[in-house]
Amino acid sequence: MSKIDKKTLIIRAVALLIVIMIAAAMFVIGRGHTIYFDNKSFEAGGETIETPYSIEVYVKGEKVAKLKAGERGKADIMGQSLAMQLVVTQEKGGASTKMNVKLPIPYNMDGVIINIPVMLAGKTPADYMTEFIPAPPSDDDEDVSVTEDAGELMEFEQ
Amino acid sequence: MKNFKLSDFVSRFSVPLMFVLICAVCAPISGLSPSYLINEIVTRMGRNAFLILSLLIPIMAGMGLNFSMTLGAMAGEIGLILVCDWQIVGIPGMILAMIISIPISALLGLFCGKVLNMAKGREMITSYIISFFINGIYQLVVLYMMGPVIPIKHSSIKLPRGYGVRNTVSLLSMRQKLDNLIPLSIAGVKIPVATFIIVFLLCLVIVWFRKTKLGQDMRAVGQDLEVAKDAGIDVERTRIISMVLSTVFAGVGMIIYLQNMGNIATYSSHSQIGMFCIAALLVGGASVDKASIGNVFLGIVLFHTMFIVAPKAGTVITGDSMIGEYFRVFVSYAVITVALIMYETNKRRKMNKAGERLAMEQEEE
Amino acid sequence: MSDKAQGVSFTDRVKGFAESFGLPRLIIAGFLLLLLIVSPFVGADLPTQISNIINRFSWNGILVLAMVPMVHSGCGLNFGLPLGIISGLLGATLSIELGFTGSTSFFMAAILATPFALVFGSLYGWLLNKIKGGEMMIATYVGFSSVSMMCMMWLLLPYHSPNMVWGMAGKGLRTTISLEGYYTQALAKILQINIGNLSIPTGAILFFALLAFGMWAFLHTKTGTAMTAVGSNPEFARSAGINVNKIRLISVVMSTWLAAIGILVYEQGFGFIQLYMAPFYMALPAVSAILIGGATVNKASVTNVIIGTILFQGIVTMTPTVMNNMIHLDMSEVIRIIVSNGMILYALTRKTEGSK
Repeated sequence: MSKIDKKTLIIRAVALLIVIMIAAAMFVIGRGHTIYFDNKSFEAGGETIETPYSIEVYVKGEKVAKLKAGERGKADIMGQSLAMQLVVTQEKGGASTKMNVKLPIPYNMDGVIINIPVMLAGKTPADYMTEFIPAPPSDDDEDVSVTEDAGELMEFEQ
Repeated sequence: MKNFKLSDFVSRFSVPLMFVLICAVCAPISGLSPSYLINEIVTRMGRNAFLILSLLIPIMAGMGLNFSMTLGAMAGEIGLILVCDWQIVGIPGMILAMIISIPISALLGLFCGKVLNMAKGREMITSYIISFFINGIYQLVVLYMMGPVIPIKHSSIKLPRGYGVRNTVSLLSMRQKLDNLIPLSIAGVKIPVATFIIVFLLCLVIVWFRKTKLGQDMRAVGQDLEVAKDAGIDVERTRIISMVLSTVFAGVGMIIYLQNMGNIATYSSHSQIGMFCIAALLVGGASVDKASIGNVFLGIVLFHTMFIVAPKAGTVITGDSMIGEYFRVFVSYAVITVALIMYETNKRRKMNKAGERLAMEQEEE
Repeated sequence: MSDKAQGVSFTDRVKGFAESFGLPRLIIAGFLLLLLIVSPFVGADLPTQISNIINRFSWNGILVLAMVPMVHSGCGLNFGLPLGIISGLLGATLSIELGFTGSTSFFMAAILATPFALVFGSLYGWLLNKIKGGEMMIATYVGFSSVSMMCMMWLLLPYHSPNMVWGMAGKGLRTTISLEGYYTQALAKILQINIGNLSIPTGAILFFALLAFGMWAFLHTKTGTAMTAVGSNPEFARSAGINVNKIRLISVVMSTWLAAIGILVYEQGFGFIQLYMAPFYMALPAVSAILIGGATVNKASVTNVIIGTILFQGIVTMTPTVMNNMIHLDMSEVIRIIVSNGMILYALTRKTEGSK
């Protein structure tokens, strides 16, 4: 009797552990970030980094942005690292170079701004990565209606 | 003899037949193209099937239509709200939301099962009131405790006043991620393959479950409580398990449902889900004490065709768009009413017959 | 030794009292008392609060009273109250449509609602006789179906009174219809007492008292006692030669008629007729009110109605003001949902002797 109990107990504990592990894994692989790509010049300590003529950003083979100087693009990604392909054209009409870049993204940032020219110049992440703080949504004082006992009947699956 | 069988068939399938008729009349009037209709129905099939399947187990255990499946729906919503705030996206977000919802729905199911054990013989009305009661608790949690007690970080979810969740929470980050996981479309009809696979798996689980010891016990309990008790089945426990299972499935089903919808109406998404799922199941030819997987799918097709077609047809016929809206709500309620009445009259007829037989036997002695 | 025995008997007596009064009811009564005591300290005007409670009592009392006959005849709690409410609404809208104004329109509405209540009530009663044992669930859905059916009817019926139909379309009734110029306060203003902030709608209360007394008297007539007998033991009642189905039918018709009158009284206090989905959940507050008053699924008295309505309406009116003044947080709606449905749940799970 007690032996069977012990066995089921172990099975249950293992099952629980597996579920918790899956949950933990989901936290890591499912973390979503919004990445904002910038093509902006950079000045610090007398050093200047010029912007290339244009940068095309591909994520998962899909073109998410084509950035002229000073422009910004955006992509939603999932997971802890960003793998992207950049096509950089230095001069108008000039030859372009392709490169693959893989970057780790800090877990606690929802939105991350990456200034690509600075990154390409080989600076530290602290220089080219900044957290994107969204403007607080307009406080239109949304009217919270506590629903009646069962809510709006007519608004089902429009 | 043959005539008798035909009338029997008609009375058994009267509700589905009536719906076939309604759909057949309304569909051409509505002027909706067949390809649009088929697309809609396939989408709704993926969206609702899991939820409706969760109703089958309590019916098996003789506890009638589980109006408190909304409890699971609420647990699913809580899971999704939290996951949204943690910014876990896509399929992993859904899985995490399910993992969070499961203990909550299991607890709620346990509560529900315990209460229903105290109210044997009036399970349905009790489960119906439970859904309202827990809705109050849900609102307490979501409207007042999310923020100060349960941390909510993002202002896109939190109300400007600093606590409570907004009326709608966007699920853009996981919208139709499951449906589109395996993209497939046949002749312009988009088919949510991955969702169908999950639904199919649940069907298999239900078929398998019926054959297990627990499933057999449940059916015995459903047939006759006293007999099952005499046979040594722990009736109360079996009933509680059936409620827990149903609630957990409903929670998972709600997450699948909402990923298709793409947003949560925080305070109303769950409230009508029970009613519409039950109506759909009954339209498929199920009754309060008997329901099969086939009923679920037939029900979805018929009920949702009516649901799509009726407002349009109503607008065309009367020139007022509200008539059709009210009509479909009326039909949903009427179907449930008719099914309940048929169930109760059948039950009485059976009891009377049993009583007569008993009396006759006694006379013979 | 004897002291101890006395102590035990005292606690027993307290326990017995709590048992007979019902623990939830005790808690709710205590909560209301607390609210009343606290309210002057948080800046709410007590006389205003009390007249609010009395007013709302006068609006809702008859709707709660409508529960009594069906509980007595063993049909359970009347979750099908919306059916009666619809009869009342038909009476109200017809009375306005036919051009009655002022207080006359109230009495005409009551008269016009009566045949509807009798017809709907008889059909409903006939149905409930077919499905003995499953009354409450089916009652709920009969209520729902009839409300959604009437939603279509309000749009389609040929009403023309410009005060009721949508201005633009010229047809279809509005969702809310003002009773200004019709029977708003028709009963309340009779003999109304005003002392400072305290105002008592004497007429409406007297009207409730009249019906409540009528109910009490009815329950002591031959039919009334037969009704109680049917409710407590149908087998015994049948063997005593009572026509069970007929008695049950009478109780359902009574309940439906009272609901129809009840909604008219509610409207005269509230000042508006609410159509479409409004009657949908009107059964639940009435059901929980009578249960808070100490009724069970198969036992209810006029006293239960009075106590229950005061307690329920007291909590509904007091919590928002007190809470808002105290912590600037209006949780009253949520509390109302939890308390009222919790109460119904409590009643449904009680073991009730001699019933299914």
